[in-house]
Amino acid sequence: MATASGGGEFVDKFPDEAAVIKASFLIAFVSLGIGAFFGLVQALHRTNVLRVIDSADYYTMLTGHGVLLAIVFTIFFLCGVFHWAVARSLDRPAESALFSWAWVGLMTTGAVLATIAILGGFVPNLGMSADVLFTFYAPLQAHPVFYIGLAMFIVGTWLSGADWFLSYRAWRQDHPDERIPLQTFMVLTTMIMWYISTLGVAVSVVFFLIPWSLGLIESVNPLLTRTLFWYFGHPIVYFWLMPAYLLWYTVLPKLAGGRLFSDPLARVVFLLFLLLSTPVGIHHQYLDPGIAEGFKFIAMTNTMFLLLPSLLTAFTVVASVEHGARQRGGKGYLRWLGALPWRDPAFTGMALAGAMFAAGGFSGMINAGMNINYLIHNTLWVPGHFHLTVGTAVALTMMAGSYWLVPQVTGTKLYSRPIGLLQVIMWFVGMVFMSNAMHRAGLAGIPRRTAEPQYQNFEFLTPIGSIFELRVQIALGGTLLFLSVVLFLFNILLTSLGEESDRPVDSHLPEPLSGPEGSPRILDNLAMWTGIAAVLVVLAYTLPLAGIIQNGGGLFGGGLPVPATVSAGFDLVLTTVTSAFNTLWGVVA
Amino acid sequence: MKLTKARALILIAFSVPVAIELRTVAGFFNVELPLIAVAVIEFLFLALLFVLYGLYGEGSESAA
Ligand code: HEM
Ligand SMILES: [Cu+2]
Repeated sequence: MATASGGGEFVDKFPDEAAVIKASFLIAFVSLGIGAFFGLVQALHRTNVLRVIDSADYYTMLTGHGVLLAIVFTIFFLCGVFHWAVARSLDRPAESALFSWAWVGLMTTGAVLATIAILGGFVPNLGMSADVLFTFYAPLQAHPVFYIGLAMFIVGTWLSGADWFLSYRAWRQDHPDERIPLQTFMVLTTMIMWYISTLGVAVSVVFFLIPWSLGLIESVNPLLTRTLFWYFGHPIVYFWLMPAYLLWYTVLPKLAGGRLFSDPLARVVFLLFLLLSTPVGIHHQYLDPGIAEGFKFIAMTNTMFLLLPSLLTAFTVVASVEHGARQRGGKGYLRWLGALPWRDPAFTGMALAGAMFAAGGFSGMINAGMNINYLIHNTLWVPGHFHLTVGTAVALTMMAGSYWLVPQVTGTKLYSRPIGLLQVIMWFVGMVFMSNAMHRAGLAGIPRRTAEPQYQNFEFLTPIGSIFELRVQIALGGTLLFLSVVLFLFNILLTSLGEESDRPVDSHLPEPLSGPEGSPRILDNLAMWTGIAAVLVVLAYTLPLAGIIQNGGGLFGGGLPVPATVSAGFDLVLTTVTSAFNTLWGVVA
Repeated sequence: MKLTKARALILIAFSVPVAIELRTVAGFFNVELPLIAVAVIEFLFLALLFVLYGLYGEGSESAA
């Protein structure tokens, strides 16, 4: 990893980049505020503690919550972090500030359009709505503006990736023999994964959903749009996680007072995510009848392999943090934990986020098991799970990271560390209440995505405690989480309004204990890894997609569905390949 | 080791998941713990922490 750029704060050295990052963060935080407010309303509504909206509007709000938090907040923040990481680790500004502003502008326009389409659902006579939830596959249909906004947003992210690749190419010309600096390596591998996976939604949105919502085509094949969504829907979880990992690997050890344990191990982890993120999407479709069980089994197996990079990360990050604690005088088997800088909200927030991620990983293993998934599928367990992962491991790391990053781009000191500390702890406690109760409620069979999960003549049962307690815990947790976001936003706002300081934060990042020198050069061969990732995707998806098209009545649906078998997909591939071969043969001969 | 405000807050934070699932753990040993017992235990823990903070906390004389 390149050492911190010598002398001068980030904002002084890279004023254009700092402005782009500030804009990205601003949009991320506005989305966070609105999304968290919706979350509070939902949590109170579904538990019947307080109902301020009509239950008929619940899906409008839930769509807003999912899209604003899981798509807009996370990805804008990611763009800010990646822009910072590339400029910092390559020690050079972006090739063209205008180009950077172009992707910020395109993504913002797209996000605003999609949000308008969603919020339109609250205005009865507007004729515009997008109550399709953040998963937006057919048969639910949104106003075309929603899909067009989404498409613009995604193209914007493609351009942002291009921006970082251009920086890298320019850097490479000046440094032909050097290893790719670690942070840039992380950004580039993540973006390659993103390019591969967004292809799926792009096809779904551009070829099916937009023409369908405009009335240009009569019908779509719903299972095809679902599968294309999940083709992208699993890699997006790693797209959320990778900026958090980048911060855990390169910043958290420093905050703990130490250094990253191993640079090559970090590279291996990012490569494994590049390879394994995409060919697993079908694990979200274990209950879809149109996909043969065999393909689901393959997706499950690939998913279990993903455990490996996750465990490598847990090991490396904890080892680095322990090293930091021992540098600070920590001793003993566990007593070193006390020597960590708990007073620092950036450290504490990230550490708590990591701890919750471990819990989220355990509940994720339940989701990933093909048979045990039936127990919790579409229950409140699932939101319980992903509020630990994206909702905490990612969101809390981003908030905690902001306490260290925002001062670097504003040049002002953090307004209040104690409030920051209170904020991250409040998030942890709130999420313990909300997520734990959601998991338990899911085990009792309470469905997710339901405004009023209270039924006549039927009682959900819990082995311990009561449903009433779970409802109270969800409502209480949601309230604490919302208050935590309010504290965060105020702290950041007051920080940005503060006085300029010469040294707003200690931004130096030390070298890893074990650097990249000894590791094989092949790790940096991005073209090769991209090729392997693409092959894995083709292997995992060709047959299932062919089967879905054939059994589901064609590309645009409409035909009669037939039961799914592995061989149906195989037949289609075979006939397509033979007819293509025959045509080719006809031309040649 | 000094019981700073930050350390105390962390201990409180980690006591919450333990308290919430205390009845499950007790259930493993066939002990049926009522909700009120959990509340009392958590309260006692907080009280203990409060006392310790008074004794060894920031600003106290006897801090090690
Ligand atoms: C203020 C904090 C939050 C509260 C109170 C909250 C509350 C909720 C509740 C109660 C649901 C379940 C609704 C249902 O299934 O009926 C939900 C769903 C969801 N939340 Fe949150 N949440 C919060 C923060 C977050 C964050 C930070 C993220 C991601 C970064 C997030 C992402 C999601 C997603 C993706 C869904 C699923 C939407 C769907 O089913 O379509 N939430 N949230
Ligand atoms: Cu997944």
